[in-house]
Amino acid sequence: MPSLAAARIRERMGAPIGKIPGVWRWPLFVGLSATIPFLLSDVWIQMLVFVGLFIVLGLGLNVVVGFAGLLDLGYVAFFAAGAYSLGIMSSPGSPFDLSMNFWLVLPLGVVIAALFGILLGLPVLPLRGDYLAIVTLGFGEIIRLFLVNREDVTAGSQGLSAIARPEIGGFEIESFTHWYYFVLAAAVVVGFVASRLRDSRIGRAWEAIREDEDVAAAMGVNTVKYKLMAFAIGAAIGGLGGVIYASFIGFISPAGFSLQVSIDVLAIVIIGGMGSTPGVILGALVLVGIPRILLFRETADFLSKLEWMREVLNGLIRGMDAFVPGSIGRLPPAGEWGAELADDTRFIIFGALLVIIMVVRPEGLMPSRRRQLEFAIEEPAALPATGAGG
Amino acid sequence: MNAPYIALSTAFWWDQFINGLTTGSLYALIALGYTMVYGVLKMINFAHGEVFMLGSFAGYGILVALGGDDLSGPMIAAAILAAIAGAMVVSATASAVIERLAYRRLRNAPRLAPLISAIGVSIFLQYLVLDRTEARAKFYPDIFPRGEFGAGAFQVAYMQAFLIASSVVMMLFLYAIVQRTRAGRAIRAVAENPANASLMGVDVNRTIVLVFVLGAAMAGVAGVLHGLFFQTIRGSMGFLPGIKAFTAAVLGGIGSIPGAVVGGYTLGLAETLGRELLNELPGVDLGNQWRDVIAFSLLVTILIFRPTGIFAERTATRA
Repeated sequence: MPSLAAARIRERMGAPIGKIPGVWRWPLFVGLSATIPFLLSDVWIQMLVFVGLFIVLGLGLNVVVGFAGLLDLGYVAFFAAGAYSLGIMSSPGSPFDLSMNFWLVLPLGVVIAALFGILLGLPVLPLRGDYLAIVTLGFGEIIRLFLVNREDVTAGSQGLSAIARPEIGGFEIESFTHWYYFVLAAAVVVGFVASRLRDSRIGRAWEAIREDEDVAAAMGVNTVKYKLMAFAIGAAIGGLGGVIYASFIGFISPAGFSLQVSIDVLAIVIIGGMGSTPGVILGALVLVGIPRILLFRETADFLSKLEWMREVLNGLIRGMDAFVPGSIGRLPPAGEWGAELADDTRFIIFGALLVIIMVVRPEGLMPSRRRQLEFAIEEPAALPATGAGG
Repeated sequence: MNAPYIALSTAFWWDQFINGLTTGSLYALIALGYTMVYGVLKMINFAHGEVFMLGSFAGYGILVALGGDDLSGPMIAAAILAAIAGAMVVSATASAVIERLAYRRLRNAPRLAPLISAIGVSIFLQYLVLDRTEARAKFYPDIFPRGEFGAGAFQVAYMQAFLIASSVVMMLFLYAIVQRTRAGRAIRAVAENPANASLMGVDVNRTIVLVFVLGAAMAGVAGVLHGLFFQTIRGSMGFLPGIKAFTAAVLGGIGSIPGAVVGGYTLGLAETLGRELLNELPGVDLGNQWRDVIAFSLLVTILIFRPTGIFAERTATRA
C-alpha cells in the first residue's frame, strides 16, 4: 500500500530523532558525520580521527565484553599486535626491513591479532569474571614487556618510525581529512559487521553465554567455540585499529601500548553502555574527545575569557588558607587551564568521572535497549547480590 | 648478570631466599586486603594498590615531620612505630571513604560497574598524588640501622628481619581479630552468606566497612615497610605491588586469609628465586623486569591447573 507508506514518511518528516525509523538512523548519522570536514578546522578533524579510532577499538572490545560478557583488561595486546605488525613489516627502521605495502599488511595484521586473540583465549577458557580480567591484564603487561625487551624483533623502546601509509590507486592518505574518512569507513565496516554478528546465531550464542554459561552449555551452545570466536573477532578488530593507528601516527614505541589503553577502551565501552553501539560512540567522544578539546588553543582563548572566575576561585582559596594550615596554591591563569589539564589533572578528572558515572548510571550513558530493560527489573535485595551463595 | 661462581655460593642463594621472603611479606600484607574484600563482596578492589601507596606517603610524611634523617637512638624506633600507626589510620580512613563513595551503591549493580568504579578510584588517587608530588619520587629518611646478623653464610640484614617479623606480627594480629573476636565472626558470617548474616542480626554494612578498614590497615603497614626498605616512593608505586598481591591472593585461593599469606610468600620466593634459577640455564640472562613475567605466567598457570588456588575457599569458576 504505497499511499500508506507515503503517509508514514510524511508523518516522520520533521519528527524528532527518536521517530526516525531504525533503518535510516545509521545512514543518516554516517552521512552527517561525512560532512564534518567541511565544517571544522584541522585540529578538530585530528581529534575526531582519534575518536574514530577509539570507536573502532571500542566496537571491537564491545564484542568481547558487551556481547559475550568476557571481561578483557588486556585489549591493548591486540592493538599492539596490529600496530607492530605494520611497524615491523613496513618501517625501514625495523630489524627485518621488509618495507611492505600497507594494504598487504592490513589483512596480515588483522589475522595476526586474531591469532593472538585465540592464543589468549585458549588458556583462559575455563575462567570467568574477575579472574579473567586479571589474567588478561597480565597478558597485556607481558606483551608490553616483550615489546620493550625483545629489541631484535621490535626495536625496543627506540620504537619504529616512517611506517607505511595507505595508498589508493596512487592517491596517498595523508591529510587529516583523508584520515578522517578512512577511519570513518573503518568504523562503518566494523560497526556493520558487529551489528550483523550480534543479530546472528553467533550473537545469540554469545548472549546466552553472557547471561549464564552453564545454562548455555546445557542448551547445547558450544561455549568453547563461541568464546574463542568472541576473543578472535574482538582481537581482529583491535588489530585493525592498531594497524590504522600505527599508519596514522607513523611512529610507534612500547610507551604507547600501556595498560592505560586497555582501561581507556574498556571505560568507553562501559561508560557508553555495554553492548550498545551508540554508547561506544558517545563514550569515545566523551573520554577521547573532551580531553583533546581541552588542549586546543581555541579552548585556551575561551578559558582566558573566564579570568574573573579565576579571581573568584583564588579568593575562595585564600579564604580557605586562613583556616587550614599550609597553602594549596593558587590557580594558574585561566588561559592555561586547558594545557594544565593535559597532564595529571586530566587523569584525576578521568578517574573521578569513571566513579561518578558508574555510581550515578551503572548501566552506562546509552545502554542497549535490552540492558535497559534488565535494569528496569528490580533485582531481589540480597545485599551483595553477586555474592550470595558464592 | 651474575657470574656462575657467585650463583653457586650458599650465601648468594640464602640472600635470594631472604629477598624472596621480604617481597613475599609485602605481597602477603597487601594480598590480605584483596582476599578479605573479595571474600565478602566478590569484587577486586582495584584501588587497594593505591591505598598501599597512600599509607606509604603517610608514613613518609610522619617520619619527615618527626625529624627525618636527624632522628637517632630510641627516637628512631618511636618514629617508625608512629609512622606505621599513622599509615594504618590514613589507609584505613581512605579505604572506608572509598567504600562509601565508590562501591556501596554499586553492590547490586552488574559486576563490571564496581570494577570500573574501582579502576576510576585507582587512577584518581594515583594521579592526585603524582600531581601533588609533581611526579617526583620521595625518599624515606635513611634512618634504619644498617648491618646484618647471623652465622656464616646465613646473614640477614636488620631491615629485612624487621620487615619480615613485623609483617608476621601483623598477620597474626589480623588472624586473631578474624578468628577470635565478635567482629571477626561477623566478617566470616557475611563472607559465608550476607543475606543470612543480616537475618542473624549482623550489621552487614558495618562489617563490610570493617573488612575494608582491616585490609587497608595491613596495606598501610606494607606501605611504610616498603618505604623503609626500598626508600624510593612515588605516586605510581601502588600498581605493580597491587597486581602482584592480587596474584598472590589468587595463588593462595581467593577469600582465604591463610591462603593470601601463603600465596604472598610463594609469589615472592618464586619470582626472586625463579629468575635466578632461570639465569642458571646456559645462554639465559634475564633482567629484573622478567620477575613480572614470571609472576604473571605463574598466575596464568595456577589459574589453569588449579583455579581454586592452594587453599580453596570456593570454586574459582564461580568468581
